[in-house]
Amino acid sequence: MEEAKNNTGQNLGIAALITAIVTFVLAVIPCVGLIAIIPGIIAIILASVGLPQAARRNEPKGILIAGLIIAIIASMISLSQVFVAGKIARHADKWPNEIQNVIKDVQDNVVKDMEDANISIKIDSNGDTVEVHTSTKNAGKEQKLEELEGVNAQKNDSLQQKK
Amino acid sequence: MPRRMIVYSKKSEPLKRVFLKLGDEPYHIINIVFAGVIVMILAYSGIFSPEKNNYPVVCIHERLTGQPCFSCGLSHSFSLIVRGRIQEAYKWNQYGMRVFLFFVSQLLFRIDFLRLSIKHPDNRRQLIIYDSIGSGLIFLISFWPFIAGIIKGFLQVL
Repeated sequence: MEEAKNNTGQNLGIAALITAIVTFVLAVIPCVGLIAIIPGIIAIILASVGLPQAARRNEPKGILIAGLIIAIIASMISLSQVFVAGKIARHADKWPNEIQNVIKDVQDNVVKDMEDANISIKIDSNGDTVEVHTSTKNAGKEQKLEELEGVNAQKNDSLQQKK
Repeated sequence: MPRRMIVYSKKSEPLKRVFLKLGDEPYHIINIVFAGVIVMILAYSGIFSPEKNNYPVVCIHERLTGQPCFSCGLSHSFSLIVRGRIQEAYKWNQYGMRVFLFFVSQLLFRIDFLRLSIKHPDNRRQLIIYDSIGSGLIFLISFWPFIAGIIKGFLQVL
């Protein structure tokens, strides 16, 4: 029983070191890094409790110190991830507006591209071919309309002259 | 009050000695615990299948931020590697293989270092130093994409 009591510092050191190493591995995996702070704190507590006990009984403190250092580093990594995730989550509120702006920009670009599009349709049916060329250019349409109007106007004029 | 006595036969004595040796040394306990943890990770990958998609561990980062992280799909990747579907595993997470190899190498390390530590107790200190350096290097190589990602993310946020 006494022997078991005397080994408490060492046992706490082993527990702290194992927990600290597991915490370290968890902390560098982003998916679970955020919750690694919990075993990190447990490891720090275990090492902190074990250190004075080991000092009182003149036991080796190497494992306890190693556990404490690894646990502190792992907890810091985990804390940094909490900080980063928190910042990203705060910015995430602004994302819907940004996404809407991006969608609007894309829509505008598509409409602009469609305005300048040239469309050709070719239909083959039983040896007969029908080919339609058209342009969605507003400027081209306006020009064509003006030309047509000009021709008609001349025709009208000529008719009026005949009369 | 009668004392309870545990009688060991002559056959079980070497086994008892082995257990006593294992329990005496903290390094042995640490090796056994880590080997157990890695076996549990491999069992987790084997039990949960990518087809059923019944993994209990979810990405907390994605839940909080809505963005997938570097380690998303790691469980799927491990399960597929265990089942020998390496190509699919790469699709789920491109770093899955190197992390999986880290765990497998650590399992072999734990078993081998435990054996060496029992066989050569006088060189234990040297063994622990070699183990720490080797495992640390393998850890850095295997997890470097995640570590670099964390550093990059932290610097971007700052």
